[in-house]
Amino acid sequence: MFRLGKHVARILLTVLLGGILGATLLRVAPGFGVDEEELDSRLNDQSIRALRQEQQTDTNVITFYFRYLGRMLHGDLGISRTLRRPVSELLRERLPETAKSVTLSLALGWALSFALVILALMSRSWSVDLFGSVISGFLLCLPAAVLSVLFVMSRAPARLVLALIVFPNVYRYVRNLLLRSASQPHVLMAQAKGLGNFRIMLWHILWPAAPQLLALGGVSVSLALTAAIPVEALCDLPGIGQLAWKAALGRDLYLLVNLTMVVTVITLLANSASNLLGEAFRPSAA
Amino acid sequence: MKQHRFRIILVVISLLGAITAFAQSGSELRFCLHSEPKTFNPLLAEDDSSETIRYLTGGVLIRVDRLTQNAIPELATAWKISNGGRTIIFKLRDGVRFSDTTPFSAEDVGYTVRQLMDPALHSPTADSFRSGEGAVEIQVLSRNRVAITFPAPIAGLDKLFDQVGIMSAKSPQKEMAVLGPYHVAEYKAGSYVLLQRNPNYWKHDGSGKQLPYIESIKLDIQQNRDTEILRLLRGELDFINSLDAEYFDKILSQDSSMAHDAGVSLDSEQMWFNQVASSPLPDYKKEWFRSTNFRRAISEAINRDDLARIVFHGHARPAVGPVSIANKFWFNSKLQPHPFDPTSALQRLSQDGFQLRDGVLRDRQGHGVEFSLITNSGNKYRERMATMIQQDLAGIGIKLNIVTLDFPSLIERITRSFNYEACLLGLVNNDLDPDSQMNIWLSSAENHQWNPNQKSPATNWEAEIDKLMRAQASTLDSRKRKTYFDQVQEIAWEQEPFIYLVNRNALSAVSPSVHNAHPVVLRPQVYWNIDQLVLGNEVARKH
Repeated sequence: MFRLGKHVARILLTVLLGGILGATLLRVAPGFGVDEEELDSRLNDQSIRALRQEQQTDTNVITFYFRYLGRMLHGDLGISRTLRRPVSELLRERLPETAKSVTLSLALGWALSFALVILALMSRSWSVDLFGSVISGFLLCLPAAVLSVLFVMSRAPARLVLALIVFPNVYRYVRNLLLRSASQPHVLMAQAKGLGNFRIMLWHILWPAAPQLLALGGVSVSLALTAAIPVEALCDLPGIGQLAWKAALGRDLYLLVNLTMVVTVITLLANSASNLLGEAFRPSAA
Repeated sequence: MKQHRFRIILVVISLLGAITAFAQSGSELRFCLHSEPKTFNPLLAEDDSSETIRYLTGGVLIRVDRLTQNAIPELATAWKISNGGRTIIFKLRDGVRFSDTTPFSAEDVGYTVRQLMDPALHSPTADSFRSGEGAVEIQVLSRNRVAITFPAPIAGLDKLFDQVGIMSAKSPQKEMAVLGPYHVAEYKAGSYVLLQRNPNYWKHDGSGKQLPYIESIKLDIQQNRDTEILRLLRGELDFINSLDAEYFDKILSQDSSMAHDAGVSLDSEQMWFNQVASSPLPDYKKEWFRSTNFRRAISEAINRDDLARIVFHGHARPAVGPVSIANKFWFNSKLQPHPFDPTSALQRLSQDGFQLRDGVLRDRQGHGVEFSLITNSGNKYRERMATMIQQDLAGIGIKLNIVTLDFPSLIERITRSFNYEACLLGLVNNDLDPDSQMNIWLSSAENHQWNPNQKSPATNWEAEIDKLMRAQASTLDSRKRKTYFDQVQEIAWEQEPFIYLVNRNALSAVSPSVHNAHPVVLRPQVYWNIDQLVLGNEVARKH
């Protein structure tokens, strides 16, 4: 219970710090507090001054942040300056899209990685291992933007791009972990005694590697979330990644701070969950 | 057994074909918005996407005919401007209803104008009507007659109503109840806006059939222009309203029947020098930039024909001044683009004491002439133009450094810190009337970009422009206005505070399945006659 409390406190502190850091970075970025609309020749001087006045309300980061936190406690996440809509509404619309993409990419990336590694281990075929390594190496070399453009041009489902970004990163670790686990003396002994392949794989290779695999699971969530930003922006997927891109370009303080916090919370929750689960696995594995 | 399977496959294929055909028969026009619409409120629309939706859904009292550039009656069957240009009286069309069946009356016009002129509403549409201090008076004279009196005369008042989508005073649906050809039926944030035909739209064709012909419009929110082109070529979109030269040529090479070049548009590309006295530039550079000879010399050293030919693939024309040749009435036809003449440029520079020594141009104090030109990053045309200007200026010994900045940083420099030397940007012109350029030409204006917010005009020629711009705005006689604005154009040509480079052509692409499309130079280029457009599968039904 104490351990869980410590995790929650750490998450809370990191999120609060992440939020203020995000706000500070945006505040000091060149072009903060200006609006493209100012160049509209139809606007008269009073309107331009009113527009500028509106932008000046959030110039002090500390004041902004405390006011923001106070409003957040009442469920108000502020209004997006660039999209002129409540941030809570935008998050409600966009989060499910990103959740779908990230979940699908994690499921596919992990499934593909496991399938290739297990196939290589069970068949003891170097060609399968080589195939997996070449494919993952090739995908690792391809920038997310290039993959996105290729998918758009070939009309392939854009959500799969994320899976191809997750796969090579996961594959390398899974391969190394399971290979090391498979070369342990007790596994060789079990094979010599004629235990079934499935049983050896499940209880003597996968089970001992479970804590590390769970830790990798946490990392892969943040990897998929980070990759979602350029992929959604390039493939026109209406998720929070696309929103973050627009918020950064438009210096949208409320939107960007909220998105920073959301991404931080998800990343930390995923990592904490994998750590806690990993710790739960350890005693039985030992 | 094999034969049985084959039959099942055939049935499945036929069913799929039938479903596809049914889906396509719904007469849906598809094109793209390049960003999320910020609002559906017609009075607040200022971004391109919101303006597109306003055009397709909003009913207006008067429309500017995009072909003839004249005002034509829409919801107002007649109007009269009186009281020295301060009052406009509208006679409204009878029997018109909003999309939710609420009847349309003079009260709705009064309500819309009251909302529009709310001092707290800082929208470009509203600002076009703010000619002086004081309140706007609205008198509902009868169910179908309304008089609006502004505190000061407004030049070109009737055409300004082209931008005002009338809202209902009584409808519970508020701004979603519309008088235009379509109404918003569905909006999925980040994905699309679906418009459905307004069942109460008042217009009918010659045979009495209610307009518009097309059942619905799906506006896909698509930022990526490459994807948009691909989708058009695959037949997933029906048109692209505005295209860059490169994309235009790509479409032209693949299917020439789709590509439409309507000719030179109202938009211009220009550069200017920072003449702000308080800017953090060295004094000798401020002196260069304030010199008419220096600006004229830079202008003459730039080969505009090459910019149009190479950067815009021939789909642009050397610019003359603040008004494009496409603006039939207001363009000063006496003026010609500044010729490319490096020899004359050097002569002008020598009048100010500049000398070309060892390939480097130096001022009287011996400073080598070097300055930076900022422009917005990601705009490949401006980046290419800057590179060509760099080469042209190198020819007269000037070193030009190109700096690309993201838009917010660039705006900060040209409007707040004034920490820049020269800037290359474009002017998107939606309005034909020079009154829309008041905030650019008045020396006291925020958008007088080379030297904004002057307490009193810094130069005699700026004082003269102030006088002429105010004079043209205070008279209703269009001939007099034209004479005044012609003089403004002449001063701008002579002094070159803005060095106008090119006017881009209005390029668009329209699928052959869209009939009655006649792309024009004024926005919205392709769908200005949206209620007359017909899709291929609708032609038979129409006739």
